[in-house]
Amino acid sequence: MPPSIHPVDLITALRHKHLTPAIVFLTSRRACDEAMEAFDHADAVLPPVRQEAIGAALERVITQYPSIAEHPLIPIVQRIGVAAHHAGHLPSWKIAIEELMRQGHLDAVFATTTLAAGVDFPARTVVITQSSIRKSRDFTDLTIGEVQQVAGRAGRRGKDHVGFAVITPSPYIELNVLTKGLTGHPEAIDSQFTISYPMVLNLLKAHPHEHIQGILAKSFAQFQLNQRAELIQRKLDQVQTQLEPFGPRVCTDWITQWQTFDQVRKRHPSRHPAHRSESPEIVARLAFLTPGRVVGLSKGRGIVLRQYRSKGQKNSMLTMLRPDGAITECPVTSVREVYDRTYDCAEIPSYPWCSTESFDQLSEQLEDLPPRLPILPILTAPSVEPLPDAVVQSLGDFPCPTCSSRPACQKDFPTASRLRQEQHRHMKSIQALRTSLWHRFQERVDVLQTFGYLTSTAQLTADGEWARLIRIDHSLLITELIRAEAFTGADPSLLAGIMASLAHDDDRPGAFPRISPGLSSLLRQVRKLAESLSPHEDPPLLRADVAALAERWIAEPTLTWIGLCRLTTMAEGDIYRLLARTIEFLSQVQTLKATHPGLADSAAEALALIRRGVLEELP
Amino acid sequence: MTTDELEQLLARQPVALLHRLARGRVHRHFRAGKRRLIELLLQHSSQNRAGLESDLQALLEVRQSRPEPGGRPTHTPTPSTRKQLPAQAPIPAVMEPAISLTSWLEGIGVPTPQPFVPDPWQLEALSAVGETDVVISVPTGSGKTYVAVEAARRAMEDNRTVIYTSPLKALSNTKYAEFSRLFGSEKVGILTGDRQENGQAPLLIMTTEILRNLLYDAASGEIDVRLDTLGLVILDESQYLADPERGVVWEETIIFCPSQARLLLLSASIGNPQDIADWLTSIRPTTCRLVRHSKRTVPLRAGYLHPNGKLTPLFRTLGIPYGHPSQLHPEAKRLFSEYEEETLPAGRPRR
Repeated sequence: MPPSIHPVDLITALRHKHLTPAIVFLTSRRACDEAMEAFDHADAVLPPVRQEAIGAALERVITQYPSIAEHPLIPIVQRIGVAAHHAGHLPSWKIAIEELMRQGHLDAVFATTTLAAGVDFPARTVVITQSSIRKSRDFTDLTIGEVQQVAGRAGRRGKDHVGFAVITPSPYIELNVLTKGLTGHPEAIDSQFTISYPMVLNLLKAHPHEHIQGILAKSFAQFQLNQRAELIQRKLDQVQTQLEPFGPRVCTDWITQWQTFDQVRKRHPSRHPAHRSESPEIVARLAFLTPGRVVGLSKGRGIVLRQYRSKGQKNSMLTMLRPDGAITECPVTSVREVYDRTYDCAEIPSYPWCSTESFDQLSEQLEDLPPRLPILPILTAPSVEPLPDAVVQSLGDFPCPTCSSRPACQKDFPTASRLRQEQHRHMKSIQALRTSLWHRFQERVDVLQTFGYLTSTAQLTADGEWARLIRIDHSLLITELIRAEAFTGADPSLLAGIMASLAHDDDRPGAFPRISPGLSSLLRQVRKLAESLSPHEDPPLLRADVAALAERWIAEPTLTWIGLCRLTTMAEGDIYRLLARTIEFLSQVQTLKATHPGLADSAAEALALIRRGVLEELP
Repeated sequence: MTTDELEQLLARQPVALLHRLARGRVHRHFRAGKRRLIELLLQHSSQNRAGLESDLQALLEVRQSRPEPGGRPTHTPTPSTRKQLPAQAPIPAVMEPAISLTSWLEGIGVPTPQPFVPDPWQLEALSAVGETDVVISVPTGSGKTYVAVEAARRAMEDNRTVIYTSPLKALSNTKYAEFSRLFGSEKVGILTGDRQENGQAPLLIMTTEILRNLLYDAASGEIDVRLDTLGLVILDESQYLADPERGVVWEETIIFCPSQARLLLLSASIGNPQDIADWLTSIRPTTCRLVRHSKRTVPLRAGYLHPNGKLTPLFRTLGIPYGHPSQLHPEAKRLFSEYEEETLPAGRPRR
């Protein structure tokens, strides 16, 4: 059986059951493209009337977005009435497909799951072939919300009586994820509040430092933290009611008092235990003197067969196998060296302490040992600190031994102390929940102070005043670059190249052979700075190939879109997104007109150059 | 019933039934084999024969009333799932035969065009949005856009500015085209990082990040005068609040949104819309209204298509059996396990 249904068969089956138009969700862009290729030789061709309708509809879109007039997929879409729609395509092409779908000209669209969130065009049927999606680098199961978002595309209001979600297996499917997703209740959402450097700067610009905590308290994050704190508060209340019977006795805070008493009592035992005077060196060795270990004794070597304690002996004892096959007993103290060599030893619980085979084996191995063996370095644990004399002596002064409520305290102490500990734990966690956002804010403030964007009183410095206008990812790196004057005199194409490599966060491989020396040296500088900032901000990917691509697009105004696409293996849609993100970053730099006119002009120039061809069609 | 008869009757029953019978009667009955179990039961019955017999009869009756004796034990949903899903469809009876493909496919087709009648929840949301902030959490494709459009229209009739934000530029563009068609292109503008198209229009479309930046600029004094006349802020796809990277932007936007403007949060179905509404109530001047609705406008059916082209319903029931993921159609179940057996290397468990 094929691992999954052939796309042509799939569409035929759907058409046959009148389940079209359909959106087929596939795992990857490549799967979508391959599904389209599968139709190359299929004989399922649309009747001419419908082909013409598609052509006419496409014409209308093309008048608005001329860049897709020559799109290589047009003929096949027109011929078979099926299209692919994924992030590798140009936005204008995606708009065209959406438009065709909305007007009902297409029978099916192969799409990646990102579509589910990206646009809204419904169909009669959605076909689901996977139960997990690629998130950052690995695959995770679809959540209930995501399954419902995908399935929600089925059934067009006013055009369908019912919608269908059809599951078809592929190697990427796990049925129970999908059935749970279809029948389940969507997950609760949680706040993902993070405190970024620009947020800190902008907040401090508009509000005095002491008001910030109140503003952070308005976040959904704090709302949810408070919800959790309330739960703990309820538990705390319970603990407190449980603690009520253990109120003040002879001493007001008898629990603490008893705790101290108990501690001292434990550390100052009334009876001396049988004291084994083993030095720390010997104690540290004990763990290594296991059966099979080779050790050096005053005369020759031996292999440890067992370790034991004997009542009559002060020290731990060892049973040793000696070179002549003799089994001897000796105290641990007689061991001179512990070697870094152990042999397998099948232990048995009685003489001769190991099985006959391993006894023979060990005897042989002992004979064959080389004259020199590496010595195992054994670190000694520092000896336990003796209790401060003051505490020991104060035991006599404790009221507890003579106190009238001692028996009662002794009886209640375990419960009371457990409750007390619980109470403290809850109080601490509530405190942490209430103040964690503020602490995170303070951490950011500290960093910004060390970099000189904020004064010690948390006022914006001159640098802070303009730095707050850079409100994008990697803002600290960008502002530090500007302060390091990395862009001084750089022409628009270099600036755009760096911005592109900062903006691009996709690690899909792409290749571009040449990079100009100016850009490459600038990029090296950026990398160095990014690395030095990595404790404070995650470094960007800083890919050289995307930087070069953006640089070329701006440096050569005659370069056409198709020419640009030929320079790299990146998909059209990815290049578009790269340049669109670059525009975003550049437009942030452009806002620094007042303080960095040269840089802002350069950014404006780059923006003017970047906006041409395909990039001009959409705002 | 004599002891012999009883013994024979017990011997004919499956051991599972004997165990149920032994529950509470025989200590550690689960360790006994069938023969020993019968022995123990009879031993016990020497004291309370009538009780054992009546229990046995009751159990036998339950078994006989099932369609397939000896089949799977009845699936009863655990109380926890039922509690979790208060407003869901009633528990589908397992006894009902699974739906057939023909009846599953019935009803495909285009409904006769009818004048658009807004759903009650849409009207509820619209009447609320005039007065307070509103959170809407409804399934995908229920008609959130209708609420957004109508709310925007009403706000614009009052000469107030409306801002509509979406998480993605692609969506902004789609909405820009759609709203331009609805309201006329002179009334709709779009803002991006470097471009403004018709930036003075009463209805502005932008991504949430752009709005956040506008609000920061306003807060720090570089005032965009238009924020004074801002009457309505529509945040589409508000479930992005939980996006690990960008979710914070939605929070910032909501926190800094001017208090005279109304907020309209449109979200797909999420688990805790009440939390969002409570949060808005706690930080905004007016009480936030939650409009939620879990029923789809167009009913959904689930199917299973085998790689060989065979189509069957996925669930035993016609619709989706909410809260009962294990109610698979027997045919779908058989085909899928067949698929798993054939495609997986022998002996390797999934995952």
